[in-house]
Amino acid sequence: MAFDLNRTLSGRVWKFGDSIETDAINPYYRYPTMEELKLHTMEAYRPEFPKEVKAGDILVAGRNFGCGSSRPGLVLREVGIAVILAESVSRLFLRNSIARAIPIFVAPGITKIVEDGATLEVDYPAGVVRVPASGASVELRKFPPVIEQIFAAGGLPESAYARYMRETAKQNN
Amino acid sequence: MAQTIAEKLFSRHNLAGKPVHSGDFLEARIDGAMMHYHANEPMHDLALQAGFKDGLPRVWDRDRVYVLLDHHQPTLSQKQADENALIRREVERLGIKCFHDSEPGIAHQMMADYGLTRPGELVVGNDSHTISYGALNSGGMGITRADMLYVLLFGELWFQVPPTLKLVLNGKQPNYPIAKDIILHLAGQYGDDFAGSMSIEYAGTLTPQLSIDSRMCLSAHGVEVGAKLAMFPCDDTTREFLKTRTDKPFEPIAADVDAVYEKEIVLDVDSMPFAVAKPHQFGNVGPVSDVAGVAIQQAIIGSCANGRFEDIEIAARMLKGRKVAKGMRFLISPASQQVYLQCLKAGLIESLIEAGAQVVTPGCGVCQPKVGFLSDGEACITATTRNFKGRKGSMKADIYLAGPLTVAAAAVAGKIIDPREVFDGI
Ligand code: SF4
Repeated sequence: MAFDLNRTLSGRVWKFGDSIETDAINPYYRYPTMEELKLHTMEAYRPEFPKEVKAGDILVAGRNFGCGSSRPGLVLREVGIAVILAESVSRLFLRNSIARAIPIFVAPGITKIVEDGATLEVDYPAGVVRVPASGASVELRKFPPVIEQIFAAGGLPESAYARYMRETAKQNN
Repeated sequence: MAQTIAEKLFSRHNLAGKPVHSGDFLEARIDGAMMHYHANEPMHDLALQAGFKDGLPRVWDRDRVYVLLDHHQPTLSQKQADENALIRREVERLGIKCFHDSEPGIAHQMMADYGLTRPGELVVGNDSHTISYGALNSGGMGITRADMLYVLLFGELWFQVPPTLKLVLNGKQPNYPIAKDIILHLAGQYGDDFAGSMSIEYAGTLTPQLSIDSRMCLSAHGVEVGAKLAMFPCDDTTREFLKTRTDKPFEPIAADVDAVYEKEIVLDVDSMPFAVAKPHQFGNVGPVSDVAGVAIQQAIIGSCANGRFEDIEIAARMLKGRKVAKGMRFLISPASQQVYLQCLKAGLIESLIEAGAQVVTPGCGVCQPKVGFLSDGEACITATTRNFKGRKGSMKADIYLAGPLTVAAAAVAGKIIDPREVFDGI
């Protein structure tokens, strides 16, 4: 699923603390199917999350989001999270999200300007995140072209497929 | 311009052929790819989703892909057996030469046991603890499954060169392993992301004294403190370890003397207390005295962090002539068949069984967990990698992380205790 980085988003915030680990995001060894996972994601921190999260909501987290095992956060997209913003993101979770074209942005200071339940505006092209109610904003770190291209292709496997087809077509010519 | 180990590693592997520095993005050539092929998210399904109608059409180099079925050995369900059967067919179809099929053990330990990861190489794996190869001066990095699909096709991948944290460990190696105490202590002092997205370079007077087992523990735990790489220098200990395991040539990497470090941390290990991470985060650390007296029902030594010879040896040495406390389940899981055999030959397994410990088949079982679940209200002390809530079953159980000596002491005492109160000669 391609994610259009040029789109601006606005949604309700679910706020989490520091060092939220992938065991909480994606406890696949207890809930092996996506349908089960959707009922349990993030419940270790907020039991109401899987029940109340709505399509278009925004997840805001503190430092080191997605630490722990290398596991994708596809379940967050499945339950409707439109974008993830964090003070910092664990590198494998970041790689995982980029490779699956899940919008995740590092925005230092984000947890200081927004409270749980508030509305947040995310403007990637302008590189800024805003809280309309208070007018507060912080900078969002933009990605280099090599990563923006992965988002445009819809993910790294999709981009691998396109490259493979391109190269084999060339060889056959 | 002077370079760190990470900068040299990526410069050497940069497809564009230019030197790179901290912060640069690059596409790099991969020397080796370690994978389970299937766990959580099947590689085959990913290939289908990407558009390949018959699955992955090829691997870029049949000699450089290493498939190890560690997470599912032995299988615990027919579903796993079916998955393993699919992997066997895929390995055969793609012509992958290195395949450790019916061999229990943790992939990372087997990569070291069989000399598949060598100094100076850039080796990726779809498991976070691939970083442990840094113990052998090998650029081991965890990548994601989607990244791996790209690697399998092209032997290339994008990276950002990390800044480097120099970790200076000074002091003397005591007669028991202290790697776990070191990393826990640091996580407690500086937070569980103190090396966030950085490359760690180990230095200091203790570093050359550390065994490969201890180095692998420290490198593996690089990921628990957020690191991208956790590199040790290549020295005589490294060469000695590799001598019988590989006959392929390798080119170690050392940092330039005037390399630029983002951060430097110095730790004097001689004055460091035994460290314990309390539930439920790796950085929630205090000295063992903080939690002394906490009743424990299960103790574990195992995993890619502490399932090695020296970890099992210290437990066996300490338990000789003693008994595991009544009601205590003391699980020991050697990291691989090779480690298991080494322990057997040294008589360690016998001492452990006589003391009342139980030995679990090598592999990730005690860590993931596949065996040794906890019930509500129970507490476990473990020399494995993680203490997240629910990691061992019940969400209402407590998991403490500690070094193998502290775990062995708790196994004997039935509670968390300073090892010096239980054992002599340490
Ligand atoms: S022992 Fe645990 S942390 Fe290490 S690879 Fe296995 S499951 Fe992962």
